[in-house]
Formats: sequence, C-alpha cells, structure tokens
Amino acid sequence: MTLSRREILQGITFGTASAVATGAASGAVASGVAPSEYPDAPPAAVAMLYDNTRCVGCQSCVSACVEVNKTLVNAPLPGIHHTNQELNATTKNIIKLYKPADGKSYAYVKQQCMHCVDPACVAGCMFKGLQKDPVKGIVTWNSKVCVGCRYCEIACPYHVPKFQWQGFNPKIVKCEFCKERLARGLQPACTSVCPTKAVVFGKRTELIAEAKQRIREYPGKYYQDRVFGEIEGGGTQVLYLSKVPFEKIGLPDLPPESMPEKYLKWQKRVYSYLAVPTVLYASMVAVIRGNWKAHQKHMIEAEKSTGLRSQL
Amino acid sequence: MIDQWERNVPVYDVPIWTRPFIGLCGLGGLAILFVSYRELAGLGPASGMNDAYAWGIWKTFNTMTLTGLGSGAFAIGVAAWLFKKKNLHVVMRTACLTSFLAYLSGLALLGVDVGRPWNFYWVFTPWRWNLHSPLLEVAVCMPTYAMIPLLLENFPPFTDWLYSQKPQYRPYVKKSEEIMIRFYPFIVGLAYLLPAMHQSSLGALMLLGGDRVYPLWQTPWLPILYVWAAAFLGFSCVAGTLLFCSLVWKRPIDRDVLVEMNRITAGLIGTWLMFRFADILFRGVINLAFKFTIYAGLFWMETLLLALALWMLLDSSRLRDPRLMFHAHLMAAVGGMLYRFDPTTLAFQPKPGAFYFPTPIELFISVGFVALAIAAFMFLVKVLAILPAPMRLWYSMEARENKSQRLAAITAAD
Repeated sequence: MTLSRREILQGITFGTASAVATGAASGAVASGVAPSEYPDAPPAAVAMLYDNTRCVGCQSCVSACVEVNKTLVNAPLPGIHHTNQELNATTKNIIKLYKPADGKSYAYVKQQCMHCVDPACVAGCMFKGLQKDPVKGIVTWNSKVCVGCRYCEIACPYHVPKFQWQGFNPKIVKCEFCKERLARGLQPACTSVCPTKAVVFGKRTELIAEAKQRIREYPGKYYQDRVFGEIEGGGTQVLYLSKVPFEKIGLPDLPPESMPEKYLKWQKRVYSYLAVPTVLYASMVAVIRGNWKAHQKHMIEAEKSTGLRSQL
Repeated sequence: MIDQWERNVPVYDVPIWTRPFIGLCGLGGLAILFVSYRELAGLGPASGMNDAYAWGIWKTFNTMTLTGLGSGAFAIGVAAWLFKKKNLHVVMRTACLTSFLAYLSGLALLGVDVGRPWNFYWVFTPWRWNLHSPLLEVAVCMPTYAMIPLLLENFPPFTDWLYSQKPQYRPYVKKSEEIMIRFYPFIVGLAYLLPAMHQSSLGALMLLGGDRVYPLWQTPWLPILYVWAAAFLGFSCVAGTLLFCSLVWKRPIDRDVLVEMNRITAGLIGTWLMFRFADILFRGVINLAFKFTIYAGLFWMETLLLALALWMLLDSSRLRDPRLMFHAHLMAAVGGMLYRFDPTTLAFQPKPGAFYFPTPIELFISVGFVALAIAAFMFLVKVLAILPAPMRLWYSMEARENKSQRLAAITAAD
C-alpha cells in the first residue's frame, strides 16, 4: 500500500519506524478502505453485529440496558416497564419496527451509539468530554469535563447523543458499550441477553468476517450484500446486516470518509501547529508598527495645533 | 458648512435616565430574572430547544449572529491600521465600544446556554484542549479577544475620563498610557488575528452539521463567507450606529468619513455576493435556489437584501444623504445577519418532524441581553468621549458653564 502524507509525517514527527508500521497494519485491517489521513479502528476494537433477519423484537436488550445502566424507567402505567419511542435522555438503546405501507417485509432495528471509528462528536468536543478509548474504541462521556454545549448533538450523523433537558445538572446520555461490564470481562447487557443472537458481541475484525460469512452463505438475503458500518462514515463499531434498505431503518447514506475527514479537513490543516495564524500575526504587527509611527507623529502635531490632549 | 469629525466628544445635554434607557434596563432586569429560573429549572422548561434542535437562539442568534455585528473593531481597525484608511481612526472608539458590548452580551448568554458551565474552567488547561474542534477555537479565542485586546482597545476613553476627574490621577494615567503605547501594535495585531480566527470558526461550527445544513449554505467555504460577512456587518453596525446617534442627538455628520465607510462596505458586500454565487455554481446546487421551498425563499431574501443594500450604499454615497445611508446599512445588516443565522437555525433541518421555536422566556432573555448592551452603550457615550464630532463642538461644549466643566479639564494638555 502507499503511505499517505499524514502517515509519513507521523513517522517523521515521532522519529520511529513503528508508527509507519502501525499505520500500514491498521490500514490493511480494514481492507478496501483507501488509506486516508484519518484513523482506522484500533486492532482490538470491540464491536456489536446486529442482524435484523434474526431479531424478533422481544426488547430483552432494551430492558437489560435499562437495568444495567439504571436509566429511568419511563412507565406511564404500572406493569408496563418501558414505553419510549425514541432514543432520549432516559433511553440508551431501543428496538424500533419498520413497517412498509404494503405490509410486506417488516424489519426491526436496534438503535444505540454507533461508536464510530472516527466520531464526529469527539472531533467537535471542546475539552475531550467525549473521548474514544484508544484500545477498545468505545466512545465515553466524562461528567467532569463536559460543558453541556450540545455540539455532539449537532455533529452526530446518527442523532445519538441526548441531553437531559430538565434540572440544573444535566448530562449527556448515550450508550457507552457497558464499559464497566467489559472491564469485568462481561459482555454488554444487550448482547448478553439476546435470545436469538440477533445482536452479538466480539472484536470488530472478527464480526466483520462473521458478517461477510453470513452474506456468502445466503447471497441475496441481505440488502446489497453489504455490512453497514464497515466503511460507512469512516466505519463504525456497531455493524448492521439488514433485509430492507438501510435508509428505511434509519441508517443514513454516508460516504466512506468520516465526518471529521469530510468537513474539518481544511480547518485542521489551517490550524496545524498554528503556523498560519503565527505568520499572519507577525506580518500584521509589522504593517501596524510601520503605520503606528506615522500615526503617533500625526497625534503629536494635532496636540500642538489644537492645544488639546490627543485621543488614541 | 462642511462638518468634519475631528475628535471624540461625549453626548452632552441629554440626561442619562431617559425613557428608552429605563425601558432597556427594565428588559435587561427581566432577562436576568428569567435567567435565574433557567438555571434552576434547566434548559428544557425555559427554552424551546430539544434533542434535534440542540442549539437555540442564545447560541445561534446572540452569539453566532450578533458578534458578526460586533466585528466593527475588527473590520474598521483592519481598514484603518492595515489599509491606511486614515480618516477612519476617528470612528474607532465607537467601533471598539459596540464590539465590546456585543461580544460581552453574546458571551454572557453563552454562559447561560451551556448546561454545565462550572466545567468551563478546563479552558485554562491547554492539555485538555481538543485542538481540532472548531468549537474549542471559538471557546478559547472569543473570550480571549473580548477580555484582552478588545478591552485594552477600549481603555483610552476611560483613561481620558480618569484624567479629567482629579489632577492626582494624571501621573498614573500618563504612565499607563506610555506602557499601552509601547505595546499597542502588538495588542492591535492580536485584535485583528483573533476575530479573523473565531469569526471564521463560527462558520466552521456548522460544517460538522453535515447534511443537516441545507446545501445552499453547507459549503467548505462557510468559514470564509462567515468572516467576510462579519467584516461588512461590522462596518454596517458602526456606520448605522453613528448615523442613528447623530440623527437622534442632532450631532453634525461627517459625510466624507461615511462615504468612505459606504464604499468599503459596498466593496465587501459586492465581493461577498460574487463569492457566494461562485461557490453555489461550482458546487452545482444553484437549481435548489429555483425550487419552491422555504430555503430558496430565504436564499433569495438574503441575496436581494444585500444586493439592494449594495445599490443603496452606492446611491447614498453619490447623494451624500445620511438617511438613505442609514437605511442602506440597516438593509446590509439585516441581510448579513440573516445569512449568518440561516445555516444555524432556519436552513438547519435535523430530521423530518423536528421543530424548534423559542419560548417567550427564551426570547425575553435573548432580547434582554441585547437591551443591556444597548443601555450600556447609551450610558457610556454620555459619560465618555466615544462618538466623533467636529472640533467646534468640543469648544462650544467647553464654553458651556457647569455641564462640561469636569470634562473641560481634559483640554489642559499639561
């Protein structure tokens, strides 16, 4: 493979051949992805694979999520445990039903944070309140740092992060891949309870291989014989197989480049090492100093001619 | 008689406590009451914001739009100091004060808007910064600009006032002015670099909005268009303010300075319009402007307002008519503000069914903070020498007994 400019620069900056080697290795992992300035998933990245041909819509994953994450149960009547329609400040995970008008080929979809390989929310976040774990690749939120600006809500292409609009101490709510359970060697709550293995947990590389295996076994069963999340929007760590078009179940049509790569490339370049602002500042000060002398002379003359204190 | 603005002179003979001033203070007080409600109850009950429209008018109008209007110190300063438009120096004090108040009001409201303001202290810890976030650029750069170079640019009228107050202050004032003058080019340089950075980054904020921003606005050139719009908005705001104050308080108008400002504003608007159309044509989205949608309507509204402003600016320069000039700048300001507001709210379409309209409380807070800035301006121009006037006004003011005796002391050049 050819090295991108970024990778070569990295090699120069850190002065190690290993950085170049890692770049080459991670580039090879996501086969079919053109080498870019922006990162690939870490080699040990965790992932979920959701296959809606297997989902029966039992919502076990939803109640498991509520139980483990202790999100508020939104129950209008006693006995009904969860009635949220959308991801919101009390819902990190939800199962939705897509029912076309002709009544044929309905499909479920599980929605939660996609844990993008190059997340837009993390790219926008000021003080790294949202951060991507360098090993597992989980995107987590930090209450000690978050300012509550809600830029993540503006940036996320999947409309995932939600804000607690009530109260004086609001938080950002989104799936954090049950990081405490993972640390204890357990699976995320949702994948651990799924009775039909519609959503499974594993390493990202393994799950992509697994998804492709399923596509090979049943060609034509899945929409476009495609795994959503392998390359879409720079890749995600939640992968989807669907029998209906992805757009129908709320997965947007995204280009292979990530949001930060697509939209912030130039911002990043202009501000790299603050070189452009520094040069601009130096040249402006030089011009102003030249004009400043003439202005001071003019001020002194005005002071003499009018007898008034000069005004800056 | 041809009037020339030669010196900054306070507004005399007008009482501070006028009815408009009291009204504006009342609006501001009401806003502060509502702010305490928002702090306790949260953003949900106080505002119309929701998860789809996570940013409301406090951010998108008061900060992202109105600081464009407050870019006068930046735009006119660049013209005066970098492009040697010498006759613009006399309006710099007005520009600096309007800018400072616009920024202060916008930044204060930003503090009300964010959900967890107590965490903002991380701004002082550079190792916490996410250097590639446009929002970080805004969050660091904007308060730095308002609190260091812009505040320092506003010192001279204040030191003038101190100088006039008591003779024993004078040595300190002189000393501080000497220090200030030594570092002035470096401060002024910063006062032009920082707004260029954060006014463009305000546009860059909407880039990550991606498909949510309608294609007529979503462009990689959004930062450049934003900072360019800030440039002509700054000019229009200062020229409009000068004209309005002169007409209301019956102060002489320097038509030469205003014509100069008109020409620069017209040039900025003209190039901006060409750039905007070139961008839309090259991206191949011009067909969207001819669809019967609200977005096409907004696009043409912006374009026509600015084109009309451009024509009126040139026409009023030819006729040298202050009233027409004022209307031209008003038109330019509305058009430019609409352009800066559209991609954030009106042409921002998160998903079907999403709806946002500010609640009355939200509107009151937004309007109240603007009212406070205007009230502060009205108060300060009566106390400090901000607004430009001919020299004869200074002398006639000085000659008047009592009213200007304190300020007359300024004239003693020691």
